[in-house]
Amino acid sequence: MQILAELEFPPVSHIVNWPELVGGDTIGVNKVVLVYLFAVVLTALVFILGSKGELVPRGMQNVAESAVDFVQDGIIMQTMGKEGLSWTPFMLSLFFFIFFTNIFEIIPVIQMPASARIALPMFLALLTWLLYNGAGIRSQGLFGYLKSSLFPPGVPIPLYILVTPIEFVSNFIVRPFSLMVRLFANLLAGHILLVTFAVLTSALWVKAWYAVFFPLPLFAVIFFTLFEILVSFLQAYVFTLLAGVYIGGAMHPDH
Amino acid sequence: MRRFRLLSALAVTVLALLGPAHAAAAQEGDLGEGTEEGNEGGSEIGHAEEECIHLLEEGGTIDDCQEAPNPILPETNEIIWGAVGFFIVLGFLWRFGYPAVKKGMEARADRIRSDLDAAESQRSEAEQVLSEYRAQLADARSESARIIEEARQSADSMRRDLAAQAETDIADMRRKAAAEIESAKTQAIADLRNEVANLAIAAAERVVERSLDRETNTALVESFISQVGSDR
Repeated sequence: MQILAELEFPPVSHIVNWPELVGGDTIGVNKVVLVYLFAVVLTALVFILGSKGELVPRGMQNVAESAVDFVQDGIIMQTMGKEGLSWTPFMLSLFFFIFFTNIFEIIPVIQMPASARIALPMFLALLTWLLYNGAGIRSQGLFGYLKSSLFPPGVPIPLYILVTPIEFVSNFIVRPFSLMVRLFANLLAGHILLVTFAVLTSALWVKAWYAVFFPLPLFAVIFFTLFEILVSFLQAYVFTLLAGVYIGGAMHPDH
Repeated sequence: MRRFRLLSALAVTVLALLGPAHAAAAQEGDLGEGTEEGNEGGSEIGHAEEECIHLLEEGGTIDDCQEAPNPILPETNEIIWGAVGFFIVLGFLWRFGYPAVKKGMEARADRIRSDLDAAESQRSEAEQVLSEYRAQLADARSESARIIEEARQSADSMRRDLAAQAETDIADMRRKAAAEIESAKTQAIADLRNEVANLAIAAAERVVERSLDRETNTALVESFISQVGSDR
């Protein structure tokens, strides 16, 4: 078991915690902040290059228009209906910002998903929480929104003693928490998987008999790299979809 | 498509090779950090040492230095920059990105819709022209059928008229011929009667002139008749 002795796996805090490159603790810029910056630049690039408005779309215009179609038809129309189309910029921002911060998980040299840090998922979940509650209050009024959220119709009155606390916890506490944890945990797990197999691969790059196992973690790295592309997309989609479901549910309590 | 596949395969391979290399570098860095953490008396001050000095200056104990940063707790700078980044993206998409792309898509949709409408109107126009042509063709066919029918009818009536005329003519001619025959016959009979009467008168005159006996009369009459017969 010499290999296990040689293998020093970095602690989790070391593979996600990045020191500030410039600036202090409060506004310091570290690798995660650089990933945010890249995500902003890439989103802007997609939409600047994609807004040529040519009759026959090519290249980035296809990407931008497909994304708009995808978010509008696949998410907003399904969860919020036609009234939700005014939310398109927000939903597009959610999708692109999360996707680009996720996809840096597999971009060489950077290889750090910003969502594997709790900060971004927490901020986005809280923002979504504020927005869906705000949308609910705006469309139904404070009293109406609380009534439709906490007292679902069709329940015998005595059962509200049970149902109302459950609905309160579910609608106002679990929802943002689950949004945050789902994104954070998926990306952190993916990052740890990639690091694990990468560390294994590099540990097996030695002149010893067990170097014959080198291809196994290498293929695992290749496989999980491809898998994490899917995860990056899927988590961005799921977060945006659930934000749409919550906002749509707050706007139309009947559905 | 083949080139795209080749490029994709190349990209995945590079990713896979760079992944371990980077991770290895990270691990080396971590190991290095670990070594530095262990080597407190080293001349070079690492990031961990800096953090530790900072913690001690803030009144922490040496145990705080041993604690790894909690990966669950959010960093203030990451929250701030994440929010700033997201709001920049949101503002950009709200003001420029989404309206520009949407405008292009709507322009295309309008163009396609107007093209479809134009094609539809042209199609209905063409169908109208076609139906007009068909109606004209049907009119022409019925007109020609009518003309042929008229021609046939007029030919028939002409034939019938001619036949009727011919029959009338024939009947007339027959009637005339019969009348002529009849009159000729009547005339002949009348002529014969006159002749016979004349002959009888002549015979009677001869009889009266001679006052003959019976034998003479008979001989006279016979000779007269035979004369008449020979005259005829």
